[in-house]
Amino acid sequence: MASAAAERTPLKFQDDALLWAAWLYYEEGLTQGDIAKAMNVSRPTVNSYLAEARASGIVNISISGERLKSLSVAQQLQAHFGLQECLVIPGEGGARSLIDRLGAAGGQALASLIQSGDTVAITWGRTMLSVARAASAHVPALTDLRVVQATGGTTAVIPYTPEACASQLAESLDARCIPISAPAILSSSAARSLLLSEPVIAEQFATLAAVNRIIFGISSLRPDSTIHESGFFDSSLEQHDHYRNAVGSIAGRFFDANGIPVDGPLGDRTVAIDLESLRDIKTRIAVAGGYDKVPAMLAALRGQFVSVLITDAATGEAILHADGVETPRLRSSNRWPKPEKSALPERTRVKKFLNSPRDAVLESLEGALSTYPQFIQPIGDSRRALQTAAPPREGKVGLVIGGGAGHEPAFLGYVGRGLADAVAVGNVFASPPPDRIVRCTRAASQGAGVLYIYGNYTGDIMNFDMAAELAGADGIDVRTIVTTDDVASSAAENRESRRGTAGSVFVFKIAGAACDRLYDLDDCERLARRANDATFSMGIGLEASSLPETRRPTFQIAAGDMEVGVGIHGEPGAAREEITTADLAVDRMCDRLFSEMNLVAGERVAMLVNSLGGTPMMELFIIARRLRERIEARNAVPLRNFVGHYCTSLDMVGASVSLMKLDDELLELLDHPCAGFGLQVAAHSTAW
Amino acid sequence: MAELDSDFIARFFRDAAIRLEERRDELCQLDGFVGDGDHGTSMANGFAALTELVRGSSSHARGPAALLREAADRFLSHVGATVGPLYATGLLDTAQAMEKDAPWQVREFPRFMAGIARGIARRGKAGQGDKTMLDAWLPATRAAQASLARGASAAEAARDACEAAAEGARATASMIASRGRAARLKERSIGHRDPGAVSAAIIIEALAETVEATPEAH
Repeated sequence: MASAAAERTPLKFQDDALLWAAWLYYEEGLTQGDIAKAMNVSRPTVNSYLAEARASGIVNISISGERLKSLSVAQQLQAHFGLQECLVIPGEGGARSLIDRLGAAGGQALASLIQSGDTVAITWGRTMLSVARAASAHVPALTDLRVVQATGGTTAVIPYTPEACASQLAESLDARCIPISAPAILSSSAARSLLLSEPVIAEQFATLAAVNRIIFGISSLRPDSTIHESGFFDSSLEQHDHYRNAVGSIAGRFFDANGIPVDGPLGDRTVAIDLESLRDIKTRIAVAGGYDKVPAMLAALRGQFVSVLITDAATGEAILHADGVETPRLRSSNRWPKPEKSALPERTRVKKFLNSPRDAVLESLEGALSTYPQFIQPIGDSRRALQTAAPPREGKVGLVIGGGAGHEPAFLGYVGRGLADAVAVGNVFASPPPDRIVRCTRAASQGAGVLYIYGNYTGDIMNFDMAAELAGADGIDVRTIVTTDDVASSAAENRESRRGTAGSVFVFKIAGAACDRLYDLDDCERLARRANDATFSMGIGLEASSLPETRRPTFQIAAGDMEVGVGIHGEPGAAREEITTADLAVDRMCDRLFSEMNLVAGERVAMLVNSLGGTPMMELFIIARRLRERIEARNAVPLRNFVGHYCTSLDMVGASVSLMKLDDELLELLDHPCAGFGLQVAAHSTAW
Repeated sequence: MAELDSDFIARFFRDAAIRLEERRDELCQLDGFVGDGDHGTSMANGFAALTELVRGSSSHARGPAALLREAADRFLSHVGATVGPLYATGLLDTAQAMEKDAPWQVREFPRFMAGIARGIARRGKAGQGDKTMLDAWLPATRAAQASLARGASAAEAARDACEAAAEGARATASMIASRGRAARLKERSIGHRDPGAVSAAIIIEALAETVEATPEAH
């Protein structure tokens, strides 16, 4: 080997010994000894080559972001809750369900946690059955194992009964299975004493005392949890009352938010290991995940029922947050950390043109009324219930809109001929109260019924519903349409729980046109619904808005971040991401919007680029330009454009994009003339 | 034993208004994390309007149930928002319960709390564990009922209610919101206390203080 030729660095390594050594080690998988021979140097030299290769950046060792995150969450959970072991799987796992993935992780973990001669208890539930099934693929052959049911039996309508879980685990581990031949819940404590005095059952139950490992799931007490489905609770209210303070359950036993066992009438009717005994078991392996379980899992950790936790990254992180632990956010550029604080001071007190913050809404309305008397006027002496300046027309369906202040020109800018007849204005970001809405309803009613259109928010719904009841008592037929255009606020299958944002303007416009053409109430309602169904919006925030009262941003967006899926009330959005270019930001919105609305070639759309308050027209046009490019790249047709301040969120820096799919009828109504100070369409104009 | 009369209710409204005003900013800030940041404003303004209602001696001319009805109206028309209908319905339900068998004794203040909690639950269609103001109202009501059943004095029961409300508000931090605007944040709502539960605990503090300030409560 010691020939001169062997010492020469092969050409492809460009005479770089470090690169050669690194290649042989990392790519070809040679040992350091083999490399020493190949390069004709000593082994310590190879070792120092490799170290230098890493130090100089020839070799970058990176762990994939998802894995790294799991690892970091696991480390924090282990340290914070004093766990023996913690295994965290990535939060996202493609097509496999969380339960499948947790089961696989549990099975894998058992390989290092179970030894020959162990007595292993297992509870029941979907996750447990999944763990029991997965164990066979991971756990090596062991001897003298026993698997025991941690509880008696439950209803057989579920496939993941205690019997099923225990026998499956025993089969997977090639262990002896010890069942508990009694129901988990008995009708009385006397029945329990009687059954437990039966020698066979007493012997089975005594095995629980010998358990040195237990695998269990953690059930939340939410209505759809396993504990309810397996028939543990009969639904008597009296029984629930005893467990009011309980937040979770393990093996049919209940505990409160601090992990203190909660006793109730079920206690002495339950055939299952009790929580005190559970805590004495050497290895206590909890396998659980899902946001609904966070309070239960946190309580179980506080109660020290868990010594080994197996969960997913998202749940793990949520548990840490719930217990007040900050988790570092990992970003793609983590290797090159940016300075956390910018050199500029943070915006702490925002400057505003105000007299007294409490008068802001009223003074602003006074200004709007005196500026635009041709569009809006007060209803009676109220300056917060406004109506159109256009003369009333007999037989016209009335359109009432409304919402909080702070969205100007929404909503009062959409009152006028061809738009809404009246608007109820609340405090900043707060729904108007019912009496004000009723006032608007009476003013708008011309005997043909009244349509309410407003954004989908809990407060607005409660206030408008109460108003509709009151107006109904007056004999006014009120129909309600709640706008739900914001795609970021909920999944597509949950369309009815989405927020109403800038896309509401399209719905006001269509409904206003239908009312102006004297369509009947059914038709106006139908068309407004169709407009809402055809409209999709998404927003990105760059700086949070600040309320007149506090003059502080409602939340912080760090220097390098943007808030994706932001709404119109300064509330945080769906996700925090790294800030990017205008085009990429528009692309981010387009990708989601196009797929949601299933935009295909040849379709016509109206587009609305909206400032959330603090973003100037100049930037809106940059956004509009890219949006048009993207629509055209799909071979769809952007027929109508709106760019400007349509529905703002005070001074939030950011923008939203709304698209409405057009059919002939919607297009015709969109082109119908209208005159409000927020939106004007001239007669006989089809292109503006 | 003293009656739970209009004077009691007036003192309670005033005390709650002062406490909510003091913590207006804190509540707004808390709401900024999960909602739109207006919660402190709505609550402080709403109770200020109730204080206005009971200013002077005119409130004493009305019976307590009539006063609660008027308070419900006043709160609703001054606040709107989300809390307007919720507390208005709570006050209204309490008034209805009171109309059936007035007068109530101060000792019966848990019924007052139960009425408010019932109305809020009815209007908001929420329950315990949904990360709402009910996570303070429900455990506090139960704690007060339980300590009275144990034979505690009204003042002791009031203190227990206070503690249970504070504990309940703290516990909302680990919950995931399923009602209201915070529900759209999903898991991002975890780690933040619900502002509605925090303000509920403040109101319950005021109620407890009013009970304790009644000489016969001890």
